[in-house]
Amino acid sequence: MEAKKLCLALYTGSVDKLTAAGVILSGAAADDMQVDIYVLLQAARAFKKEVGDNEALLNMAENPGMKEEFMASLKKLNVKTWVEFFKEAKAITDVKIHICGLAGKVWGGEKLDDFIDLADDICGIGAYITSAQEADINLFI
Amino acid sequence: MMTTEELKTIAVDKIVDARGTACPGPLLEAKKSLGTISSGQTMEILSSDEGTKVDIPKWCMKQGHEYLGTIEEGGFFRIFMKKN
Repeated sequence: MEAKKLCLALYTGSVDKLTAAGVILSGAAADDMQVDIYVLLQAARAFKKEVGDNEALLNMAENPGMKEEFMASLKKLNVKTWVEFFKEAKAITDVKIHICGLAGKVWGGEKLDDFIDLADDICGIGAYITSAQEADINLFI
Repeated sequence: MMTTEELKTIAVDKIVDARGTACPGPLLEAKKSLGTISSGQTMEILSSDEGTKVDIPKWCMKQGHEYLGTIEEGGFFRIFMKKN
């Protein structure tokens, strides 16, 4: 059976939504899906080497005043960081992470080496559209 | 599907103790452990996460494995499956 394909447009750079993306990615990994992630504007900042899962540098998209409580609850529940979720999914299934060239430049990232080692390449929007056209599931987070 | 009494008699080939992890932890632990057993062998997943008892049967169906049943213990679930 040919693997189903998930195309994820990842716009968010917030820790709550990145964690949600990581949980969804885990489900895709359990199903051996082929996953393409396109890292758009705000998300590219989170992929910078100096940010990653350094929670002090990440904001919340929802309930910003409750970040401390949210993060403490995740830790208590043994929930992985968003970077750990992404790494684990990459180890299990075919996950390719593409940094949008424009998004990278917005946050001062010109080269692949400027981003955490989860990133596979820097691409243009045409690659995203092609992947989205071919995917069985499309998500924008 | 097997009855609770039948499930209790199975000598499973692999036990995955995922108690203490929240979703999606147990599902991913099951996925990773599946690679360590052979076709025809059985696996028991221990989970304290309510969602796992729904996730594993559906996952088995999609992946072509056999879901054998679930036993509810005090505070956790014992979920049985056979790899195809």
